[in-house]
Amino acid sequence: MSVAPDLISGFIAFILTLLVFSYLLGDNPFFRAAIYLFVGVSAGYIAAVAWYQVLWPELISPLLFGSPGERILLTIPLVLGLLLLTKIIPPLSKIGTPAVAFLVGVGAAIAVGGAVLGTIFPQTGATINAFDLQAAAAQDVSPAEQIFGASILLVGTISTLVYFQFGARRFSGETIRRSRLVEGIALVGRIFIAITFGVLFAGVYAAALTALIERLTFLWTYLGSF
Amino acid sequence: MRRLFAPAIAIAIGLVVLLGYFLPDYTTIAELRIQIVHWAVILAGVAVLVGVFNLFFVHIEKIRKKQKGSVYSLLLIAALFATFILGLALGPDHSIMRSLFDAVILPVETSLMAILAVTLVYASMRLTRRRSDLMAIIFIITALIILLGTAPLPLFEIPMVGDIIHAWIVNVPAAAGARGILLGVALGTLMTGLRILFGADRPYGGK
Repeated sequence: MSVAPDLISGFIAFILTLLVFSYLLGDNPFFRAAIYLFVGVSAGYIAAVAWYQVLWPELISPLLFGSPGERILLTIPLVLGLLLLTKIIPPLSKIGTPAVAFLVGVGAAIAVGGAVLGTIFPQTGATINAFDLQAAAAQDVSPAEQIFGASILLVGTISTLVYFQFGARRFSGETIRRSRLVEGIALVGRIFIAITFGVLFAGVYAAALTALIERLTFLWTYLGSF
Repeated sequence: MRRLFAPAIAIAIGLVVLLGYFLPDYTTIAELRIQIVHWAVILAGVAVLVGVFNLFFVHIEKIRKKQKGSVYSLLLIAALFATFILGLALGPDHSIMRSLFDAVILPVETSLMAILAVTLVYASMRLTRRRSDLMAIIFIITALIILLGTAPLPLFEIPMVGDIIHAWIVNVPAAAGARGILLGVALGTLMTGLRILFGADRPYGGK
């Protein structure tokens, strides 16, 4: 029973892979058709997942079958959700603004909390802890080697941050520019950024190469199955 | 008064959630934060539906006005409608939905990633032709060292590249740059979030 659906899905996957690969010859109608089909199926799939994973179990089902306390609490997201749905209809879209404001407020607070507790504190702590010589000794790393690495880490982190500092002032008779000191530190920061992007590029390229090999193997295996 | 309603909601809700983060010992605030975040998750689910319906109506409009490329829009609408109805009727875990995922979403995503292998080589060649400054050279050399250090070579291993140079670049200068970028992004996020919580920025449409 499961052979027929597998055969059909394998055939569709084979055709779609070829259509997407046709982009290597330039943008063409076959590639566009594959992409529009992909967007349509993905959007429909995501909507179904949102219904089954979030809206039904967290809102609709408790409203229909939950306790009176649950129902009262869930009237707030129900009303906000209905307000949000008015965003689909342009003449009524202003009614949905409070629901968007609710989402933005929660999102901003989570972003602030995440930035402080999830990035700024841990990353600053890790930069300081790189100078921990006791931890280095436990890993059989010499103090000189540890201090050298930690110093480069510190210089790299600060100079990269300085590179993104775009505050500048107008010098008499000259164009607006940053001070010489900031320009010098920013240049060092650019070198670290170039190295970081080089490493990221290599990582993305290795992943893309793996995907290419997987797809070519799929095409070869599918053709070999006949 | 009506103009202040939306900013008041955003600021009040945001401050309660933020207090819940930083005062976890105050049970009432922490519980309120969990409740508000739970409501936000439900609203995010509704927002997904709003986004999908908006995509649907945008392409319906393109078809109605017979704009260029409306044939593709028809394909998108048919695929979206069929998948959504099937998904609602069967559920996303049904075998037919999984087959649909394996037949369309997975191969197209992987193929797009695969053609990236070719386009990235083309882009890096263009970079070296157009901008052969110090930064481009550092970028290309770093990428080559990392690739040579990661990939197993068929006949020989380049001494020191795989075990020492590759590891040092990843753990020291690249980590430093990434840390600086991460801290910069976090500081930017902090400023943007605080501007919203103070009501200076109102991306929800309030004046």
